[in-house]
Amino acid sequence: MSGRELARWAIPAGRRGVAGAVREAITDLTDVAAGWHWGRGVSAPRSAEADPAAAEAPGYDTAWARSLPIRALREVVQVGVLHPLLGRQVNLEVHGVEEFGELDGPVLLVANHSSHLDTAAVLATLPAGRRRRTVVATAVDGGTTRWRAGGPAIAFHALPIERSDQTLASTAGELLAGGWTLIVYPEGSRSADGFVGAFGSAAAQLAVEQHVPIVPVGLRGSYAAMPRGRAWPTPGRPRVSVRYGSAIRPGTGESVEQLTSRVETTVLQLIAEDATSWWAVQRSAGLPALDPPTASWRRIWEQSAELPPSGPARPRIWRG
Amino acid sequence: MARPGFVLEVDDRTPPLVVHDGPGYRLEKFPLGTEVVYAPEALAPVDDQAEAIAAALDSPTDSAPLSELLRPGMKLTIAFDDITTPTPRMRRPDIRGRIIEAVLTRAARAGVDDVALICAIGVNRRNTDAELQQMLGERVFRSFFADGLLTNHDADDDNLSVLGGGEAGEVAVNTRAAASDLLVFVHVATNADGGGAAAMATGLGSTATVCSVHGLQGVLSDGAAAASAGRVVAAALPVFSIEAVLDNHIFGQPLEFLGKREWEWSIRDQVTWLGLRRALALSPSKTRRRLFTAAAGGYSVVGINAGAPAAVRAQSTKLLLQQQLVQMQGQADVGVIGVPEQTPYSIDSVTNPILAAWRGLSAAFSSADGVPFVREGGALVLYHPMPVEFSPLHHPSYVDFFADVLTATIDPLQIQEKFEAKFATDPWYSHLYRTSNAFHGVHPFHLWYRIAAARTHCSDIVWVGADRSSAERLGFRAASTLADALEIVSARVGRSPTIRYLHNPPQIIAEVR
Repeated sequence: MSGRELARWAIPAGRRGVAGAVREAITDLTDVAAGWHWGRGVSAPRSAEADPAAAEAPGYDTAWARSLPIRALREVVQVGVLHPLLGRQVNLEVHGVEEFGELDGPVLLVANHSSHLDTAAVLATLPAGRRRRTVVATAVDGGTTRWRAGGPAIAFHALPIERSDQTLASTAGELLAGGWTLIVYPEGSRSADGFVGAFGSAAAQLAVEQHVPIVPVGLRGSYAAMPRGRAWPTPGRPRVSVRYGSAIRPGTGESVEQLTSRVETTVLQLIAEDATSWWAVQRSAGLPALDPPTASWRRIWEQSAELPPSGPARPRIWRG
Repeated sequence: MARPGFVLEVDDRTPPLVVHDGPGYRLEKFPLGTEVVYAPEALAPVDDQAEAIAAALDSPTDSAPLSELLRPGMKLTIAFDDITTPTPRMRRPDIRGRIIEAVLTRAARAGVDDVALICAIGVNRRNTDAELQQMLGERVFRSFFADGLLTNHDADDDNLSVLGGGEAGEVAVNTRAAASDLLVFVHVATNADGGGAAAMATGLGSTATVCSVHGLQGVLSDGAAAASAGRVVAAALPVFSIEAVLDNHIFGQPLEFLGKREWEWSIRDQVTWLGLRRALALSPSKTRRRLFTAAAGGYSVVGINAGAPAAVRAQSTKLLLQQQLVQMQGQADVGVIGVPEQTPYSIDSVTNPILAAWRGLSAAFSSADGVPFVREGGALVLYHPMPVEFSPLHHPSYVDFFADVLTATIDPLQIQEKFEAKFATDPWYSHLYRTSNAFHGVHPFHLWYRIAAARTHCSDIVWVGADRSSAERLGFRAASTLADALEIVSARVGRSPTIRYLHNPPQIIAEVR
């Protein structure tokens, strides 16, 4: 039987030299760097987003942000750099800190959100012991990666655990169970016009599940000081007011929706207190934040006005 | 909870994906729109293996408890799978050893003295003493080996017992097994095609019996020959079957990250990848093979079933489908598969081109209902360097098959007519098989018939990165890159085919809808 005629050009593979090995090593490195977007991080492919793990995980492990060296670094950054800097750029006023005196253990701090200054302002006004055990819940999105989120994680302990549907990843519950205080912004993202948007129910849900109290926080003036689009506060040391309210605990038989509504009303009252007075709010003098002007430019116009000094006008002693 | 398998569509966010490439791995950037089939994650393991074994033996399916089948004065034979299952090997302790210890404990309690253990190798190579000890554990090995009561089956033995005639011919099995009052068969289930009475027929059968199942007619019968031989064995022998089902967690430390979805790799995983690539690139081929041989799988046992062979097989198959089945829409035009270095027939040995081809093509045709994931007339693109390297110790017949048979013809019918009988009865191959650690002379033929079946289904089979002379000898094509391979196959499947990459290992069973 005649044998097969094999193609003469089908020659055996040759060996590669040192130059080939070096080229291959460089190619490997660039392939991994490009494929996993070093410097930006990788997101799950769109068809994998329905995968439960993709929905659950923030894209990377966050436990490193709670390690002792990082916590020490964070303390130095906050106390040594951020707080003094914040104090120089804005006139920060805080009221209601004494509410924490009666609270032991973790709490959920629920605040309105209109500026990147909000987190810094809250952290700068918390009691030191509680501030060191506080995590800020930020949104998970395709651009939130280890590299981009590393800075906020170190400076503010900001961790991407809030999903795009405004639910919180299971990490939030684990943190609360571990004794950490959590700052949550139920509006989801910063307000575009300074007015308070609708509150999501994730914070209330978490409070019910983990049996932790909610401390409402009303922030006023941060939008005017540093609205969306600005990377630095406006000049002139604008006033930013941080008001802490009394702790809210879920009532017996209270639904998550009812609790959310109660927290939202309390935050609006705290903002209104700064604009008017506690007594005026108690007498239902109106919650201006609930009736914003219809036109968007007027809403922005109203919220971007610098806050007047708080309290009654001080009498001039010297008259000239 | 274990995530099910799913089909990913490659988009701009998808990082490069791991492709097994023989004694190495590569990252491949697949074209946008490529479907990538990911296996389900590992099922939850049994809480306590000892309890699971006891529960299976004491409450078997369609059988009396094992203890009731044992009595003084009886002849008990325990047969077990050889080292080819699973691949890669299990960490110690191997589940076979634990199961056999439990069987022997009951046998000792029942006063059974006449016990023999047989490694059901079929026409595979004899397992070494070290391999037997690794599978059985030191207690069992030491109790039986020295007295000659622990042996490898010999398919070329002239004194095998004929059980009867099946559809494909006479069925003869190991005499000790045939003469026993009870045959306990211990099987490690990793594959929905294996196990059951058919595995006993081939594992303990004569060369002729094995050829009737795995020869050309057996392959063309699409499983009927195997089922028939299994029925003869099950009818003739009193069998108590025990099957341990493993999960698909095949990557042990430090390679666990290879079983993760690529976009979930941590920085540490990426750095480990770079280190692994460099280590493999700089190592000589012998060292690379040792690294792969030494790497044990991270398996856990997800179920242990015992009782009548058919019932046990059905239970194991159900678990395996749960573990390995992935649904996909329609068949693809082009299938892509990476071929790992370790094959069942190259444990602690060399993966020659024929073994590589069989390993890759068998993965392509693993399906739940006989519908492959690539359409008839479609193309397959596989990754393996296919080096012209052979182990003269383990694969002497493969050397001659590659050098003499494939240079004459690749047609399976002609190969069967002209060469199979000669290899099957060659006294030198038989001597090496019976006394050394060589695969039987017919072994390469059985693998070739499966390869030929795949070639009939596909219009083109292209090997990326393969040795051209090797691919040419096997009747395949070789390409340098995936793009070149797609260029080659575009003549048959068009310029915009549906491409589907089977991200295996671990094993995937396709269910095409």
